[in-house]
Amino acid sequence: MTTHPTAADEATVLADIAGMLARLLEEEYDLDDVEIGMTTTFNRDLELESIDLVTLAGLLEETYGRRVNFAEFLAGMEFDEIIELTVGRLVEYVVQSLKSAEAG
Amino acid sequence: MAIVDTGQLRLHVQRMGPRDGRTPTATVVLVHGLLTDSLASYYFTIGPPFAAAGLDVVMYDLRGHGRSGRPASGYTLDYSIDDLEALLDTLAVTGPVHLVGNSYGGTIAFGYAARHPERAASVSLIESQPATPTWSETMDGVLQQVTHQLAFNEDVALAWIADHRSHNTARLAKSAARLVRETTLAQDIPAGRVLTEDQIRAVTCPVLGVYGGDSELALLTPWLEKLLPDCRTVLVPGHEHSVLVEAAGAVGGHVLELIRGSTAAAVR
Repeated sequence: MTTHPTAADEATVLADIAGMLARLLEEEYDLDDVEIGMTTTFNRDLELESIDLVTLAGLLEETYGRRVNFAEFLAGMEFDEIIELTVGRLVEYVVQSLKSAEAG
Repeated sequence: MAIVDTGQLRLHVQRMGPRDGRTPTATVVLVHGLLTDSLASYYFTIGPPFAAAGLDVVMYDLRGHGRSGRPASGYTLDYSIDDLEALLDTLAVTGPVHLVGNSYGGTIAFGYAARHPERAASVSLIESQPATPTWSETMDGVLQQVTHQLAFNEDVALAWIADHRSHNTARLAKSAARLVRETTLAQDIPAGRVLTEDQIRAVTCPVLGVYGGDSELALLTPWLEKLLPDCRTVLVPGHEHSVLVEAAGAVGGHVLELIRGSTAAAVR
């Protein structure tokens, strides 16, 4: 088993997710220059609708397979938490899921 | 993204099942509500726990909504029941299914059960009712209001919603306005056929009604229980029309209980 420093993991996952969001924003809204960082919110900053998050769930599964379950992650949240969700929180969840899949 | 072409229309479908490879015990079809809604309301609420409970979960976007096709016309209730029928045929889901519908989605689910009693194992109406003349009048009022306030005075209406409700509600209203402007939905739904009391009574499978305790629709519960042969209703206190997304755990629990009960009864 190889181990990576946590910071590098986070940076890689952030780059992956930023790529997925860029693709989604381009395909659905014709936007191609949106900056995405850890503090970016899905709702207010990116103006994504909940159906866009379903698309994102599909993109996450394409990249990480069944190790990451975005639907289950959000289903465990209160409605207000979903509205306030940041890219950073998703990145942390993905890093954690990948680690536990590796350990498990 | 899974797109299913029914031959009439391209529908966006998401399906979840038990992740541990178990064979699902039954299929449940989740039908979302009108205008601001999409399958996302299930995908991030009761979908995952239903799949984990061993069910084959089918969620789809109604015509005009989410990622499904948006024809310019054809939005009566019967068209939406046709879509559900065609979708299940295309997916080769031919046995009886448990139907769950939120708001207008429940009216579609109930309409499907009335059209095909043999294909409905149970119906759960969340903040919803069968299509009756009173329902049709209410829908007409709501849709006329949306048409006038949003579709033609959009900026003023959206600014009011953003101030008095939230940024998120304003955004949802904006996409609702687009749907009303681009299609005949607001004219079609009130013009559609409704069910007679006899047709409603002919739905003999177990029916569950789940309502927000503070919702106006909660007043329907005595009528529904009296009319339907096998109907139970529950109120979720402290909630109104958005009870599904606001109290997903409670709503999902009631629906699962009904599904488990009627699946066990069918096996016996």
